[in-house]
Amino acid sequence: MTRQTLEAWLQKNLITKDQFDQLEPIASGKIISVYYELRTLLYLGVLLFSSGIGILIYKNIGEVGHLISIGLLAFATLICFWYVFSKSVDFSYSKVKPPTPYYDYIVLLGSLLFISFQGYLQFKYQLLDENLGWSTLISAVFFFFIAYRFDHLGILSLAITALASFWSISVSPQKWYSSNFFESDHLYITAIILGIGLILTAMLLDWKKIKQHFTFTYLNFGLAMFFIGSLVGLFDNSNYGFFILLILAGSGFAVFYGFREKSFLFLLYAFIFTYIAITYFLADTVFNDLPELIFYYSIASCGGFVYFIISYRKLFSRKS
Amino acid sequence: MSHAYHEEGITNLGIIKDAGSLHKSHWLTESQLNAITTTYPSPVYHPNFIVRILLFIVTLLGLSGITGLFALAVADAGETIIAIACIMYGSISLYLLEHFFIRDKKHFKSGVNEALLYQSCAFIVGGLIVLFDLEEQTALWISLAVLSAVSYRYLDLISTLGALLIFSYLIFSHLYEWGEIWRQVIPFTFIILFAIIYWQIKSFNRKTNSPSWRYNLLIVETYSLLMIYLAGNYFVVRELSVNMMDLQLAEGENIPFAFLFYAFTIIIPFLYLFFGIHRKDIVILRTSLLVLAMSVFTFKYYYGFNQPEVTLTIAGIAVLVITLMMFNYLKVLRNGFTRENLVPEKWSNLNAEAFIISQTLGGNQMKINEGFEGQGGEFGGGGSTGSF
Repeated sequence: MTRQTLEAWLQKNLITKDQFDQLEPIASGKIISVYYELRTLLYLGVLLFSSGIGILIYKNIGEVGHLISIGLLAFATLICFWYVFSKSVDFSYSKVKPPTPYYDYIVLLGSLLFISFQGYLQFKYQLLDENLGWSTLISAVFFFFIAYRFDHLGILSLAITALASFWSISVSPQKWYSSNFFESDHLYITAIILGIGLILTAMLLDWKKIKQHFTFTYLNFGLAMFFIGSLVGLFDNSNYGFFILLILAGSGFAVFYGFREKSFLFLLYAFIFTYIAITYFLADTVFNDLPELIFYYSIASCGGFVYFIISYRKLFSRKS
Repeated sequence: MSHAYHEEGITNLGIIKDAGSLHKSHWLTESQLNAITTTYPSPVYHPNFIVRILLFIVTLLGLSGITGLFALAVADAGETIIAIACIMYGSISLYLLEHFFIRDKKHFKSGVNEALLYQSCAFIVGGLIVLFDLEEQTALWISLAVLSAVSYRYLDLISTLGALLIFSYLIFSHLYEWGEIWRQVIPFTFIILFAIIYWQIKSFNRKTNSPSWRYNLLIVETYSLLMIYLAGNYFVVRELSVNMMDLQLAEGENIPFAFLFYAFTIIIPFLYLFFGIHRKDIVILRTSLLVLAMSVFTFKYYYGFNQPEVTLTIAGIAVLVITLMMFNYLKVLRNGFTRENLVPEKWSNLNAEAFIISQTLGGNQMKINEGFEGQGGEFGGGGSTGSF
């Protein structure tokens, strides 16, 4: 945005004089917002502190430094939650505006520290020694509660990843890269079921108008788990027809929802996974005998798809 | 010759985008936004970011099919014929891009454009290298020329970054080859060279009002600031001297001009910070925060990295306290700075922020079957995702 644009708008009566006077200092750089810079720093601070103290409490056990770090952890957790509750806004089913620009990061820090603290207590007193998995489930429940009570998308994502890791599924591209998506065999079935569960939960909550701005996050994780699970199933089994049908059904849903809500990311998922599934099927059946056909196939399919996107540009336009 | 696009179309597109983000932050009403959209019609085809990525991937896949057929057709010819065919294939792609997609279909950075553009660059440069059997440096000079031309003509940002990287590497490798004394002055050459580039761009920006190349220039500006810093950074200079120039350092020995590089490492971030605040320049301000973190890392690397958890904890407390103090200090407008989010940045996205949080901050939970050893084991991967 430049000053010239604003002046042109004013001359053409597209904005009022009041609006011009308010916007002019922003456009000409007389007023500068450091909102994103400060928020990025807060994120870094939370990352550094929660990582550092998370390691620190398990070091030097039995020494003075250990006690200090436990004390520091408890104190910081209390301070965060004192702040969070004293400033808190009443619960609402819709989106809540945070009371201060840094409120959500205090919620985040407090929750992370609380999780570290309860993990430490369990470790120290061997509370859940038999089944450490339950600890992850407790974290997930705690995160879900905080996410809904204080309207926090980031903590909702943490809740979903904790829930997935309770089922031994790692929802992290870093792990997928090292092809460690599933820590044991046949987990793809779990991933598919959990993915469907998340998608159904999302649609139900969306329909009941409970925190509709959470729907995207649920669907994103749900669809990612569902598609990756189906894809692993496709590659792992010789009778893969069922998994191709699953991918097609999932893509159908992603396309339907993506167009309805103008969430183009879901269209991208649908394309990528359907394309992989169909190519895999054709490679197994047709291309074995006629390898040159693969070139014509990619030209025809992709050319057709590009033509479709460009011709029906209205379908793909931004939400008005 | 100017850029390839419909000038008024992309100017209006920029204006509509500005109006859109002003409407999102409640500066403009719905009817005002609609009035602006109709007053500034833009015929260019420039879809949503995700659709652009989709189009880019799909176009690349489709082109790979055509390339495969092309490869089958020329596979049996000699090397020279293949090289000439590659250059022709690249030129045809470029012609198609220029005349069909940009002029007739009015595509502007649509994803299709990028796919065609990178394909033609790769085939033309690759063909030239094979045809004339070029050496590495000549090949890089040609790539630099092609990428610069492409950044200028198609306003492509990735080509701009590529050109800058190749340019820096060429300067480095030429000085490196010229020998002893030239190697010593590499850092100073970089600092002076990129300082000149930086000032040229600043004065160009002052004289020209928001040209079509403003995002390319923004990349050059940020890159120059980073290069000036990195060329003077003690860690970079020391490690490059040891690894590339076979500098043998005995225990307790230091690199030549060590005090100077220590000074640069400390002074440049604060200099940037000062100019950022003084000039109200958000680019240099952001860069100053980034290089400040690098300087802290540099010093921690050589002095006491043996207790990383203590460092992390203390650094975390320091960053949190300073940031919260800044938030409270900027509650009111001070010297033109405010903590309020006036006009949202186009890349800011709450869903993306939530995803980054879930990927980088999830490490504090107990891991199944890993018990004590796994505690906090996952935080390390998150260090690189600083901005969102």
